[in-house]
Amino acid sequence: MTFSASGNRCGGLPGLALLLLLAGCMGNPDDLPDGVVYCSEGNPNGFNPQLDASGTTSDASSHQIYDRLMDFDPQSGRVVPALASSWLVSEDGLTYTFQLRKGVAFHQTPYFTPTRSFNADDVLFSINRWRQADHPYHNVSGGTYPYFTSLGLNNIITDVRRVNGYRVELTLSRPDSSFLANLATDFSVILSAEYANQLAQQGEKSRLDTFPIGTGPFKFVDYKKDRFIRYAKHPEYWRHDRAPQNLIYDITTSSSLRVAKLMTGECDAMALPAHSELPTIEQREYLVLDEKPGLNVGFWAFNTARPPFDNPKVRQALALAIDKNTLLEAVYFGSAVNAKSLLPPSSWAYQEGLTDTSYNPVLARRLLEENGIEPGFSMNIWAMPVERAYNPNARKMAELIQGYLRQVGIEANIVSYEWSTFRQRLKQGLHDSVLIGWSADNGDPDNFYRPLLSCNAINSGTNRAMWCSQQYDALINDALQHTDPDQRRAIYWQANALLKQEMPLVPLAHAFRYQAYHRSLQGLVINPFGAIRFGEVEKD
Amino acid sequence: MPRFSLYQEEYHPSPLQHTWLAFRQSHVAVIGLWILGFFATLVVFAPLIAPFDPVQQHTDTLLIPPAWEPNGSIEHLFGTDSVGRDVLSRLVYGCRMTLGISLILVLLAMLVGVAIGALAGMTRGVRSSVLNHLLDSLLAIPTLLIAIIIVAILGVGLVNSMWAISLALIPQFVHNTRDFVRNEMKKDYVTAARLDGANKVHLFFITILPNMVEMLVVQGTMALSIAILDISALGFLGLGAQAPSPELGTMLSEGLKIAYMSPSSIALPGSAIFVMVLSVNLVGDGLRSALRNRMRQ
Amino acid sequence: MFRFVLRHFNLYVLTLLVLCIFSFWLAYLFPGDPLVNLTGLTLNDPADYQAMAQKYHMDSGILVQFWHYLVLLWDGDWGFSFSSGLPLYQEIFDSLPATVELSTYALLLSLLIGIPLGFLAGLRHHRTTDNALLAASVVGYSTPVFWLALLMILLFSLQLGWFPLSGRISLLFDVPHDTGFILVDIWLSDMPNKGAAMINAVQHMVMPVLSITIVTTAIVLRLTRRAVVEVMPKEYVQAAYARGLSKHQVILRHVVRNAMLPILPLLAMQSTILLTNAMIVEVIYSWPGIGNWLIQAIYQRDYPAIRAGMLAVSTLVVSLTIFIDLLARIIDPTRERGARAKI
Repeated sequence: MTFSASGNRCGGLPGLALLLLLAGCMGNPDDLPDGVVYCSEGNPNGFNPQLDASGTTSDASSHQIYDRLMDFDPQSGRVVPALASSWLVSEDGLTYTFQLRKGVAFHQTPYFTPTRSFNADDVLFSINRWRQADHPYHNVSGGTYPYFTSLGLNNIITDVRRVNGYRVELTLSRPDSSFLANLATDFSVILSAEYANQLAQQGEKSRLDTFPIGTGPFKFVDYKKDRFIRYAKHPEYWRHDRAPQNLIYDITTSSSLRVAKLMTGECDAMALPAHSELPTIEQREYLVLDEKPGLNVGFWAFNTARPPFDNPKVRQALALAIDKNTLLEAVYFGSAVNAKSLLPPSSWAYQEGLTDTSYNPVLARRLLEENGIEPGFSMNIWAMPVERAYNPNARKMAELIQGYLRQVGIEANIVSYEWSTFRQRLKQGLHDSVLIGWSADNGDPDNFYRPLLSCNAINSGTNRAMWCSQQYDALINDALQHTDPDQRRAIYWQANALLKQEMPLVPLAHAFRYQAYHRSLQGLVINPFGAIRFGEVEKD
Repeated sequence: MPRFSLYQEEYHPSPLQHTWLAFRQSHVAVIGLWILGFFATLVVFAPLIAPFDPVQQHTDTLLIPPAWEPNGSIEHLFGTDSVGRDVLSRLVYGCRMTLGISLILVLLAMLVGVAIGALAGMTRGVRSSVLNHLLDSLLAIPTLLIAIIIVAILGVGLVNSMWAISLALIPQFVHNTRDFVRNEMKKDYVTAARLDGANKVHLFFITILPNMVEMLVVQGTMALSIAILDISALGFLGLGAQAPSPELGTMLSEGLKIAYMSPSSIALPGSAIFVMVLSVNLVGDGLRSALRNRMRQ
Repeated sequence: MFRFVLRHFNLYVLTLLVLCIFSFWLAYLFPGDPLVNLTGLTLNDPADYQAMAQKYHMDSGILVQFWHYLVLLWDGDWGFSFSSGLPLYQEIFDSLPATVELSTYALLLSLLIGIPLGFLAGLRHHRTTDNALLAASVVGYSTPVFWLALLMILLFSLQLGWFPLSGRISLLFDVPHDTGFILVDIWLSDMPNKGAAMINAVQHMVMPVLSITIVTTAIVLRLTRRAVVEVMPKEYVQAAYARGLSKHQVILRHVVRNAMLPILPLLAMQSTILLTNAMIVEVIYSWPGIGNWLIQAIYQRDYPAIRAGMLAVSTLVVSLTIFIDLLARIIDPTRERGARAKI
């Protein structure tokens, strides 16, 4: 009765219907200004990826605003020239000489007008900023350089020398087989030394990281937290003139909302579709879903600095208490492979025959009791508030783990904060355990083992287990001394065995990487080695 | 004992019976009462009605569609959600939680509100005048806004949102009670009782309160529909009950994430809230017009 | 007359003072250092801390502190947001107009639809039209506004693809921020594609405005209907009929005036409820208004933002209410003070 009545009322509103029609039909998509809208998943922490290892920050700046000395070829993974047109490595592997490209223009914006093009001074400034603790810019904007410190790069480089205006020489303290790859990652961006000097004179150094200047295909226009980032085309981009006039990041934290916006055409491309939403995207002809095996690992890390999680037996018991296969099914919907170690199967150092921890609540309960964990013990699980390829729904996973833990007599509370607060508190070690993960920045195994569990990485905030083992550090340092892959592989396998015993974290999954966009968008390729690139994108 | 009736006696229904008779005249209101009764049954007997534990995760049966769809199963009538919880059970418990909590909140707010209102209504002077003025401007702020502000201060969570909503509901009861008591104080029957030497406490509880019951019931149903809407709105915004607790608003916001795959995840909790509020409003409307009819006679 | 205004002004100042005291007290209620909660700055450097403590007179008595807090509020120095680091005054006055714009259109639309329908229902008291309209309005105001908004998204955006589902305008348009009212801003701007921008903005507005309008219209309809039903049997209406006026004339000359006068303030009072609904709807449609902003601040435990946002929103609501009440008393001095809407 009531429903038909409500229909009656709407029928009686011709004015309303007219308005609907008017607005519905008059819109013409051709009237929109030229540009690409990308639905991104969160707020970047500034616009300098040197300062922050999160994917959101590098997505928003690395390949849009900046360039690096070298890049990875997205197809082959090889290091290819970028701002450095060529380079030479000395016989002993200690000296690297880079020849720089000439006539590369920096962005001209309302807040900065460059007077010279890119040269060796910019390279020196960009590297020395994170390398030298006494550099005038080192402590600006927090002064932490997580990627470089977690890999110890600041200690490996002993000297950066300007040979002439377009030639730079780097000297290392010891050979490092992953060095070139590290300079090609999202984090090794080249800033403008001239802009930095200008800001230093004005006494506003921190603007270097919030109002960025680079040589990339887009220049920064505007950023409103929780709302959008606006970029405009850099007309004198050195590579090509194809970039779209405008690039907008529509910051949308909920992945279902991102999919919805993609479907209505409010976004041309979206970040991180949730695994449950993939079929919805695939069904639609006007959308494209790209898939690639990802270099990532999702895990459940225990805070080993806090009792009782400092006891390896307790950690093992917790690992036994959860059924990884169900977690995989429920959270990744089959678009991930079970992780047995830190390394994904696509890595050359992957250990094929490694046995996985099995699901055994009875054994778990017994182990817990033996180590003094009474039924009713309560702990917290921190679930990250954002979706990541390696863990598309940490909250849901936490709920499932909560269920498993209840079966072995543990009460788990789920804790979550806004993303930047979350990571800040995580770094302070306020958690018992956390569901998080890691996306590699290059294909080297060291990029998994070192940032995730080395002692140095505790301070740089990527070692979520707060776990420090001299034995482990010795192993992974040793591995870098060898250039023979077989020798290195053998060492990493020893590390695997150690991790299995100590269980500072439970590896859960290696997820595929997905990217969804409108069919009208050309040239958007998945970059397995890091952040998204819009410079080559064209819209029909 | 049957009474011998010689004369055709005139039947005098009490005022309450009168209201009830008038209420029954409206079919819509009676239907509303039936639906409300149904929800009340859910509140009381939820553990008996629900086939499963609302937070138990059937990890082998994730995202099963409702039974009437091709690959649904009769074991889970409304299907399961993305972590394998039975949707029907969650709905039943959700109704229990949302309606049950709202009822408690309204009773609490009524108790406090009537107490303050009675005090304010029976006293006079500058003190009460200032209080009244402030109360008036406070009353203009919608309950949900007050609740959001209080939650902002206390922090997010179900218990905090309950405090917030009951605090936000109190001013209405204060206001209505105060006005009602003020009006009644001027009436003859109260004056008569006063002349008989009744003190203020006696005056309120014995003389005025019985006349206030109907007003309170009407006011209560209004407050109840507001409370249901507010508590589910806070749950929906993530400020009230937190997942995985089965609160209808919270369930709705959880359902958002899988809305494309199973539209029922939005349809079911949403329509539960809607029907619940609708039935409360129908009963409230029925009562109000019944009262109005009685007054007119 | 003058007394009315004076009394309302006194009440207004008093209420604002209470709100200010409350917001000042919040800085002490919230966890953490009150100074940090007031300024919104993380003061690691002791020298900075001293300077700020000086500015807020933290070493003086609580009354002196409050006085200086008031002075700073007046100067527009509301502190900074924890999460964005921007001045709160600027953030709030960036987002408030968006909410006011949304609410204004919704209020106008629901008055435009609700009042005529209310008259229709009232004049056909207890007939089919009346019953149908009444039933529709019960359904309307029983609908949770957030659910309605979701259903509209599912239907009009995702199924039919008629309207965009988030924001005020496609982000590809770079509309300068002058007044904060998007349509006005587009009008005033010198953008090359004004027409397209205008259409785009209206498209974005339709669904949020409609979701609020449907709920509010239901209430407006009932208020109007009740007022008409009560006016119709009055002696002066009967007298007008007796004088031989046609039905049209009676309704236009007597019923409309007498029915509308007492309920106009009640209708205007709906604006506060409407504002709350707007704040919820904003979250769903990602409308960059004060509701969305405040709820984000609550999620992020951004205490300075909650303090300032709460002050701004409640000041707006209280100002509206007292202004409407004053207006009502000027129009109709016989009115009881603070009469409430009964729906």
